[in-house]
Amino acid sequence: MIKTDVIIIGGGATGCGIARDLALRGIPHCLIEKGDFAAGATGACHGLLHSGGRYVVSDPQAAKECYEENIILRNIGEKCVEQTGGLFVRLPGDSKLYRDRFLKSCEKLGIPTEIISSTKALELVPNLNPEIEEAVKVPDCSIDPFRLCMLNIVSSQKRNGIIFIRHKVTEIIKEHGRCVGVKAADQVSGERREIRGNIIINATGAWSHMVAQLAGNEVPLTLSKGSLVITNHRLTNMVLNRMRPSADGDIIVPNEAVCLAGTTSLAVEDPDKIRIESHEVDTIISEAGKMVPHFNDTRVIRAFSGVRPLLKSAKADSREITRGFQIINHGDGMYSIVGGKLTTFRLMAEKMVDTVMDHFHLKKTCETAAIPLEGQEELSGYPLAKRLSNMKNIVCECELVSRAEVERIIKQTGTCYVGDISHRTRLGMGPCQGGFCTFRALGIMHEKNLLSPEQSMYALRDFLQRRFRGIRYCLWGDQLREEQLVEYIYLGILAMERKQ
Amino acid sequence: MSVTQHDVIIIGAGVAGLTAGAVLAEKGCNVALVAKGEPTACLSTGCIDICSLDHEPLHGIGHLPEEHPYHLVARAVIREAVDRFGKITDEMGLPYVGSLETNRRILAALGTFKNTCLVPSTMAAAPQDEKDDLHIITFSGLKDFYPSYIIARRGNASFSTYEAGADTTMGLAANFERHDFLEKFILWLEKIKIPENKIAFPAVLGLESAARIAQKIESSVGKKIFEIPTIPPSMPGRRLFNVLKDYFRKKGGVIYWSWPVSGVEKAKNIVEAVITPSDGRPQSLNAKAFILASGSFVGGGLHARRDTIVENIFNLPVFVPGKRDDWFDSDYFALNHGIGKAGIIADSSFRPKEAPWENVFVCGGILAHTEVLKNGCGHGLALATGHAAAASCLEYIK
Repeated sequence: MIKTDVIIIGGGATGCGIARDLALRGIPHCLIEKGDFAAGATGACHGLLHSGGRYVVSDPQAAKECYEENIILRNIGEKCVEQTGGLFVRLPGDSKLYRDRFLKSCEKLGIPTEIISSTKALELVPNLNPEIEEAVKVPDCSIDPFRLCMLNIVSSQKRNGIIFIRHKVTEIIKEHGRCVGVKAADQVSGERREIRGNIIINATGAWSHMVAQLAGNEVPLTLSKGSLVITNHRLTNMVLNRMRPSADGDIIVPNEAVCLAGTTSLAVEDPDKIRIESHEVDTIISEAGKMVPHFNDTRVIRAFSGVRPLLKSAKADSREITRGFQIINHGDGMYSIVGGKLTTFRLMAEKMVDTVMDHFHLKKTCETAAIPLEGQEELSGYPLAKRLSNMKNIVCECELVSRAEVERIIKQTGTCYVGDISHRTRLGMGPCQGGFCTFRALGIMHEKNLLSPEQSMYALRDFLQRRFRGIRYCLWGDQLREEQLVEYIYLGILAMERKQ
Repeated sequence: MSVTQHDVIIIGAGVAGLTAGAVLAEKGCNVALVAKGEPTACLSTGCIDICSLDHEPLHGIGHLPEEHPYHLVARAVIREAVDRFGKITDEMGLPYVGSLETNRRILAALGTFKNTCLVPSTMAAAPQDEKDDLHIITFSGLKDFYPSYIIARRGNASFSTYEAGADTTMGLAANFERHDFLEKFILWLEKIKIPENKIAFPAVLGLESAARIAQKIESSVGKKIFEIPTIPPSMPGRRLFNVLKDYFRKKGGVIYWSWPVSGVEKAKNIVEAVITPSDGRPQSLNAKAFILASGSFVGGGLHARRDTIVENIFNLPVFVPGKRDDWFDSDYFALNHGIGKAGIIADSSFRPKEAPWENVFVCGGILAHTEVLKNGCGHGLALATGHAAAASCLEYIK
């Protein structure tokens, strides 16, 4: 049995942010995540560090929070934020009235804007539709959500935080009506652990109603699915937003070598049973294509969906529901934190930990806004220069990941999941989507005696099936061609066993 | 525009195109082949899968759905195509073993077995079951081969690593072609005492003279050796392509290499020429007949758009397996993806159905309803239909 003060359930940005905040305030804690870090909405979003512009007209409070956090994250997270800047692009037919309201609200909230002529905008982003009326520049940035989670966790680990990933909470232990601990099952070995603590924080996003249920508590949620597509290269070096009320496919975000475009917004019931519809992909492409015409003939390498955990609201259109967040005190030692945005994760964590401090009658104030994220200097594989310096024995040709880097991650994490290597190095994230390098990464794990043949076959099957789920709705043109080749490699040349 | 006249123009330099080319060239036709690049044969294991569904390939073919293009080819013609393939590869120094009567197995790089029919002699000694004990030779830094996959599956295998100064299959194959490298390697191999009966190599034993190199190693160490196909680039696939290409040229065939077809010239129901934009000016390649052997999607013969599937050279009608959502099954491993059925439907004379052309023939992977992966019939179908389409074309031009 493990004893701690605070148990955090959920390893998304919120949970990881809470762990960091608790660590910096010296509170013992344990974080339990059923999959990998950023496995839910955190890892399935644009990776847009909002300037607030997107919400400035519809939800000024959320916009204000976004802008303040945007400034903080740029300061503390230099290595996981790319300061791209963003444009709100007004196309012919987009309401000028909206643009005026947009500018007025930005001014009121102190979000810096700059009106840019179409000529100047085309200089900044040459792929833009030359027909645009004008653009407004805002301080949008691009952020790597997985790296963000990892860096928050570093602070926790440095201060003896206990972290369990791939552990699913199966039971919340209650004694005399109070939550006193959890039971969690190791998803790999099946081993069960009991962790005891005084406070349980439910930061499980789209799953928070289910986790709350384990303690007999309720979390009123509205789940909204958002789908995104990824292109095989960067079409813009700035974040592009459409100057109009939020709608499908009106944001394009550059991220490393690729671009993400989305989103859609559809109400869903079960966060574990979501799928992308072909028409969503087509809508995103045609809408993004209005801002960047070249988008229509660019290779789309993957499509994915995330589920936004929004506060329950009577509003029928989930786009109108506030992006603000809420802390629910269930009164039995459990707190649920729901709503919010990736951009405001730190603020959410701060408010959550303030509540915890009140509960413990402790005074130490939050420092997460002032202290830079720890561990940024060790970020693996990130700078291109670092990748290029190790060109010998490249395992993933699309993203230039070397064998040495893969071996380092295996050694560091002892992982037998290709996904863990991908998230840390970008292995398998390029155009072939792991078609070649998965065989190699698993081969290297095999060499380290980490896998039995059954495990490696299982890992390959699991990987290919997951990969396929991501590319299933983008299969035409070159991506279909590549897919046919990969299928031939694994099922033909390598004679993979199809059934266990 | 310069104009060149041939009897027959073949588009595509894969197994189907080169087989058709060889048949025509042997009959004294003035035949030319246009290829925009290397064929998918270069990515393949180099083995000839005839039909892997059944232990007996011909029996397996009998059970294929009636729309499968194999049914357009008479059994006797399949036998003839396979016999000719055997003669060609013998003549060109890349002998194949196996027979149409029964399939055999090769060891795959994951340690699993793969069913196929004809294999290059360098794979002939592959174990047919778990009994044989193996010693695997690998090369330091080689990123496309991991003996541990095989060892983890077979208790009776071990491995040694040779420092070969190259970490790609291409680089290693080039090294093995060098006499001094081979001598030094054999010296090393003789020194390590290998207790096992058979020695396995990733398929890197040379490019031009693989059969001879394998024989030399075998006779030096006195043990059976065999190659395991690797992920692309695949040396056995490239060797297969090379011998078929060389044979075609030897018989008088012409190859226009790296010439993509950009247009066609037609009159009524006859295609008169294909146009290629090569060498800085357009070239018109005129012929009495054309054989389209441009392959499926990977080869570039078929192109999927977001809403449909097209063939871009002659704009032939394509069998499209439903809407985009129907092209793929959600179970990746179902081997039942609708896309495997996409392609050109041919009539019994290998002319595309519902197309106006009387002098265009199609063969190989571009044909509809092949489902190559599911049926294990890639190169076999290319041999059979390449042969049959050439025969039909020959009849037409006479």
